[in-house]
Amino acid sequence: MVKAVRGVLVECEPAIKSILVHIDSTHHHEFIIEDLDETHLFVKEAMLQVLKSKLEERLRETYRPEEPLEDSE
Amino acid sequence: MPPKRKAAPGQGNASKAGRASAMSTPGPATPRSLDSSIMSDGDEDFDEDVTEAQKEREALLSREADDFVNKFTFGGKRLQGQNDELGGGGRRYDAATAFFRKRDFSHLPLKPDHQNRPLWIDPDSCTVVLERFNPLAEQATDFLITIAEPKSRPTFLHEYALTPHSLYAAVSVGLRPRDIINTLERFLKTSLPDVVRMKIEDHTKSFGKVKLVLKHNKYFVESVDAEVLQTLLKDKVIGSLRVHGSGDITTSYAPTMGGLVIPGTQNAAGVHQANLRQAEKKPGEGGDASNEADLFTALNEEDDDDDKEAVHAFEISDANVETVQKRCLDIGFPILEEYDFRNDDVNPNLEIDLRPNTQIRPYQEKSLSKMFGNGRAKSGIIVLPCGAGKTLVGITAACTIKKGVIVLCTSSMSVVQWRQEFLKWSNINPDDVAIFTAESKQKFSGSTGIIVTTYSMVTNSRERSHDSKKMMDFLRGREWGLMLLDEVHVVPAEMFRRVISSIKSHSKLGLTATLLREDDKISHLNFLIGPKLYEANWMELSQQGHIAKVQCAEVWCPMPTEFYDEYLRANARMKRTLYAMNPRKFQACQYLINYHEARGDKIIVFSDELYSLKQYALKLKKVFIYGGTSQAERMQVLENFQHNPEVNTLFLSKIGDTSLDLPEATCLIQISSHFGSRRQEAQRLGRILRAKRRNDEGFNAFFYSLVSKDTQEMYYSSKRQAFLVDQGYAFKVITQLANIEKTPDLAFATPLESRELLQRTLVDNERGAEDDVETDDLFGKPGGRGSGGGRGGRRGGNGVRRTAGMLSELAGGQDMAYIEQNKAANKALKGKGKKGAGGDGQSKFFKGIQREKDKSRGRG
Repeated sequence: MVKAVRGVLVECEPAIKSILVHIDSTHHHEFIIEDLDETHLFVKEAMLQVLKSKLEERLRETYRPEEPLEDSE
Repeated sequence: MPPKRKAAPGQGNASKAGRASAMSTPGPATPRSLDSSIMSDGDEDFDEDVTEAQKEREALLSREADDFVNKFTFGGKRLQGQNDELGGGGRRYDAATAFFRKRDFSHLPLKPDHQNRPLWIDPDSCTVVLERFNPLAEQATDFLITIAEPKSRPTFLHEYALTPHSLYAAVSVGLRPRDIINTLERFLKTSLPDVVRMKIEDHTKSFGKVKLVLKHNKYFVESVDAEVLQTLLKDKVIGSLRVHGSGDITTSYAPTMGGLVIPGTQNAAGVHQANLRQAEKKPGEGGDASNEADLFTALNEEDDDDDKEAVHAFEISDANVETVQKRCLDIGFPILEEYDFRNDDVNPNLEIDLRPNTQIRPYQEKSLSKMFGNGRAKSGIIVLPCGAGKTLVGITAACTIKKGVIVLCTSSMSVVQWRQEFLKWSNINPDDVAIFTAESKQKFSGSTGIIVTTYSMVTNSRERSHDSKKMMDFLRGREWGLMLLDEVHVVPAEMFRRVISSIKSHSKLGLTATLLREDDKISHLNFLIGPKLYEANWMELSQQGHIAKVQCAEVWCPMPTEFYDEYLRANARMKRTLYAMNPRKFQACQYLINYHEARGDKIIVFSDELYSLKQYALKLKKVFIYGGTSQAERMQVLENFQHNPEVNTLFLSKIGDTSLDLPEATCLIQISSHFGSRRQEAQRLGRILRAKRRNDEGFNAFFYSLVSKDTQEMYYSSKRQAFLVDQGYAFKVITQLANIEKTPDLAFATPLESRELLQRTLVDNERGAEDDVETDDLFGKPGGRGSGGGRGGRRGGNGVRRTAGMLSELAGGQDMAYIEQNKAANKALKGKGKKGAGGDGQSKFFKGIQREKDKSRGRG
């Protein structure tokens, strides 16, 4: 019995790919079907929107990190 | 201020009326044609006409059935309704209005001759915008520097903010609210909004009314306004602290600038022939006040007659000075501190003068004139870029006051530098300049002199050696004419409080390049030392050739995938290490070093991350200095960097951020930095501003900031640049360095090497960052900072490690031998230093042993 999963090919920069893979690994691998190469991923179609929003969240964190205000010297 | 010639009378308006975007709006008194009132500034009578005209216009435009015009019409109608609500506030609405939101100030009427006036104002935030290209810009700048804080100074438009502190500073240099308002009115394109006028009056009303003056070594509370003094005396706290029996309120005449000449100015040069010293001792003799005084009289035309204004004073005892100061602040009369040093005959005079050939630069003169504005020494802070001669300003101030001086700096190295500068610029007897550091505790020979010391020496509250205890008692027991505080921004407020409370000085002068901290403590300095007296314009100084021109660039280095994967998983500390160790960054650094060494530049590479500092320096075989480098080694490395043509690149950790004087350096590369600290960025830039070659034709210094793409560094980097951008520097972004792959011996060129680097980095850093704690400033002794720093927390992770192993391992009994393959370049220098140029590496003795070994090997 063959089980088919609908997927979407995602092309992105290596850095973004890394982030996506990282998100996937912290969410029980429920997003990515196949890691193709440096810039391509095969992602479950149903989960695409969720992944997008998670990525956005992550990018926001990257660009506005918490800042320690230690400046005593 | 009489109205200036009208730039654009009636015809001008008529011709512009056709354009909705025309900027010119007639002044309230100017009669207008109906057309021109489209751009009405809102007199009630014209309101009807305005709407009429607008409707007409809208009708006309809508007929054209243009999308844009439709929008315009809609906007017009919608806003018209609002207009009615506001009761005809007179706002002008057009297609652009929506974009300005709350910051639409088109309702402020422009003056008819606004083209001739250089200033705009934002009444809500009290921000003043200056057109630098306006013919009056120079004058306006001088004025604004006095009353407002510079926010941002790029080439054409400068932004200044009126803050309570800046107004306080303005008052403290002798400006009165009336003068400020009048002059602002004169320079503004619009009339001064009432909000701002009220704000100015509000803030200046009480500031500077009361002065604390040390006269004949007694503290007097002094005021021009007798009523204010009465208020103070009626106050419970202050009234009881007043010294009785010293007579009632005394009245005397305020001193004038006349006769006081700041040495080193052109004026001084003139007076010098006519015997400088005599002129200085008789106030009121030198008829022509110096240039700076002219500046003020020019600003406040009516100011001339208050030279002879009466002042009233009452005495308070020394012990209660701080209480009175605090109380006065509480009840809204902050006290200004001034030192009437010319009439101080209790403290002995110091024989000190600038050398006759010393000429101080115009901006140094200007800054000092703010300090000695009325013939007395005011306490405050002078802000000059690094390398612009802060030291000379301090020395000149000392030469003007001619009393005992105590200089506080950040490290024992700058102590030595300060002393040398004193000897270089002034004719002071070398015995009168003494040094007080951990190593040397001297006293001056005469009755008065100069002591140079560090903040930590003076504030150290722990046990001291007998010598330094005696020295401290000596410092405490004296009265100082001037306290010079070098690099004031670095010292925490509590430390200052300790310094100031333990050492008594009549006036205090703070010097710094970057009066900013990421925490808000900078405002404390305003009260501990005094207001900001002067802040120089970096761009202007670099155009005049006083500091180097700098090209700034931010280089974006992509992270290789495996690094980035690791980065995503890492904790905050490891993240920092990883983005510093990014192999692409390494390559960029290598490339830039090669490029600039080939050009003949001397390069400093900064890294906050000690691990990466060492890795970079070892791999690239360059010398480096960090907290753990011994004093002798540091000196040797610096010597070599300055004079040895072979050593062109120096790696520095953050200990080199401040007060390191390396005029040879012309290029700076930053590989890792302290989060978003604007101050660090500016201070680092300062290392190359004093470049020796800056006066060469077309010379540029270079400042590179290497940033790993897609990491937090990008965010920090943009934050860090804010200060420099405000000073008018522009950062170019470089996304790709041309021909970087052609660099010979490019480090980590293959993925394999870069993976190895990653593994090594991870392993090395897992072991714990034992030596990643920086404990001192450059050349300073570690420790001794009291409770000032907040770094105890970082040491937490280093516990004891337990491993299984043999005892023989420890003794080296398991046939293991270690050879250091990757030697630090520092050691090579040391070797050379010891053996001189001739020796080829080994002494005879070791050569002999080597020969023996070779022989035995040959046999076997």
